[in-house]
Amino acid sequence: MLKGLGKSLFGQPAGVPQARARRKRLWFADAGFSIIAIFIALIFFFPIYWAVSNSLRTPAETFTVAGLGVPFLDFTPTLENWISQISTPEASNAFGNSLIISICSVLIALALGLPAAYALARFRFKRIKNKDLTIWFLSQRVLPPVATAVPFFIVFSSLDMLDTHAALILVNATFILPFVVVIVRQTFQDLPIELEEAALVDGGSHFAAFFRVAIPLALPAIAASALIMFAFAWNEYLFAVILTIKESATMPVHIAGGVDSRGVQFWFVAVRSLIAMVPPVLIALFAQRYIVRGLTLGAVKG
Amino acid sequence: MIRWTKPVKFVFLLPAVFWVLAFTVFPLGYSLYLSFHDVDRKVVVTGREKVPVLNEAGEPVLKKSGEPRTKTVVHRELQTNFTWNGFASFIRAFGDEEVGSAVKVTAIFVFTAVTAEIVLGFLLAFLFHRYIFGRAVLRTIMILPIFATPLAVGYLFFTVFYEIGGPLEFVGIPWLSHPDWALVSVILVDIWQWTPFCFLVFLAALQSIPEDLVECARLDSGSAWDLWRIVVIPMLQPVIIIVLLLRLAEAVKLFDIIASLTKGGPGIATQSYSYLAFTQGFKLNDFGYASAMAYLLLIVVMIVVTLFFRRLRQTYA
Repeated sequence: MLKGLGKSLFGQPAGVPQARARRKRLWFADAGFSIIAIFIALIFFFPIYWAVSNSLRTPAETFTVAGLGVPFLDFTPTLENWISQISTPEASNAFGNSLIISICSVLIALALGLPAAYALARFRFKRIKNKDLTIWFLSQRVLPPVATAVPFFIVFSSLDMLDTHAALILVNATFILPFVVVIVRQTFQDLPIELEEAALVDGGSHFAAFFRVAIPLALPAIAASALIMFAFAWNEYLFAVILTIKESATMPVHIAGGVDSRGVQFWFVAVRSLIAMVPPVLIALFAQRYIVRGLTLGAVKG
Repeated sequence: MIRWTKPVKFVFLLPAVFWVLAFTVFPLGYSLYLSFHDVDRKVVVTGREKVPVLNEAGEPVLKKSGEPRTKTVVHRELQTNFTWNGFASFIRAFGDEEVGSAVKVTAIFVFTAVTAEIVLGFLLAFLFHRYIFGRAVLRTIMILPIFATPLAVGYLFFTVFYEIGGPLEFVGIPWLSHPDWALVSVILVDIWQWTPFCFLVFLAALQSIPEDLVECARLDSGSAWDLWRIVVIPMLQPVIIIVLLLRLAEAVKLFDIIASLTKGGPGIATQSYSYLAFTQGFKLNDFGYASAMAYLLLIVVMIVVTLFFRRLRQTYA
């Protein structure tokens, strides 16, 4: 029995005759495992579905509709909550702030991180070895943010920079920097070095090799790392709630403020959570190919 | 022959190095300084001044008696005073019952959530590694939680765990109002968000095992156990270690879910260490104490990272 299990765990790619023959034998196993997989995926999807369902109900219906609350079936969906939420000036302000802060911090991180990634991938450092430098950059990723929260607050408040975009941009750029360094470093390493050496032999400088050869070739990975960094900057809450008050409040701060002052109002909670989550989740879908490499800090090549 | 050791390499590397020094190393140093001090921040009146009241044209407004009307302007300044108090904050932290509770909550959370995520992620990866109907679509659905805003996820689950009329009412568990169940709820939310990450990484690792290696082992002995012992476990071990490190480091930061789902309650039953440090600093304005607490956490994280350091060096060689 164990033998069979071992084999079924390592199914061969479709198309191989042997695999096809085995699949014929194990069609009931395929069906059974597929049903389990679909069921699990549904469990993971449920909270998001529940928020969508809540957001389409009238306030009274969020409490009265029983069961799974399927729109059209259990109640008549309405877009009222969405319209009344999106139309508030605070919401659009927060959305704009989040966009500006995330994009600017991604740009700074790219400007600093791409050359560093290139240096770590191509040049040889002697006194401190390349791998130690890489780990030094990565170690920021595991740093608990509360450890730097107090100093940042005191410094920014004495510089009169609380509630400004700049403060959050500086902080976010710092903690998303490891992503671009590790994702793109790996990509640079995988590029054929001959292309850059050809550019150098032709009389180009290292900068020319970097800008004209390496960056264009690594563009997909750079774009993916930018998307992942955008999502992390967008989702950041601890520093956002400390360093902003009202004018520069980001989406997470905005939804927290609304919920805390209004209390339990599922329809608002649902709409606001969804608005905050849509951009980073969409991004995750676009950057799918690089998620594994990005989130494992380059240790696992997805 | 191209030399890849020219000094120009520093032009590429140093901007990022200086940036990290300025925005990570400097704050950490400052935080260490703060943790040995009592930080007193208050608004101090530095002086009062009588100034004449002006009308729109900029001329002084006169009283009936003919004297210029005056108003008093109070000059205020935010003053931050640091007084050295040695190890007092650290000693206080070790005797603080709230800190003890937060350590316990965080430890239970980290241990349970990370174990569950890795085990579940592993099982799911094996499930998805075989033939599954609609695998690409299901895999995409599973990815959604990873990038969902953690704070929003907390609120999302607030509506799911709501005890009267919520979708989980039928289970009859006091999800958020009972101290123990509230911690379970927090753990469940974290499992929901991060199991997909473990799953995705393990699946990628499984798929990267060369097919002929598996075939070889199978032809060689044919036993499932040998296949595991010789091929699967050695290939997955480094991946498991890196996932474990990342999840541990991430889980001890637990903050956003607490801030939205439970606010540390009921009572202090779900108050995590990061959340307590945050409250001490930014709700009670005890910056020195908050810094000391944060530093203790930092030390724990550093110890964890050091334990994994050799493995990390191999990975980035």
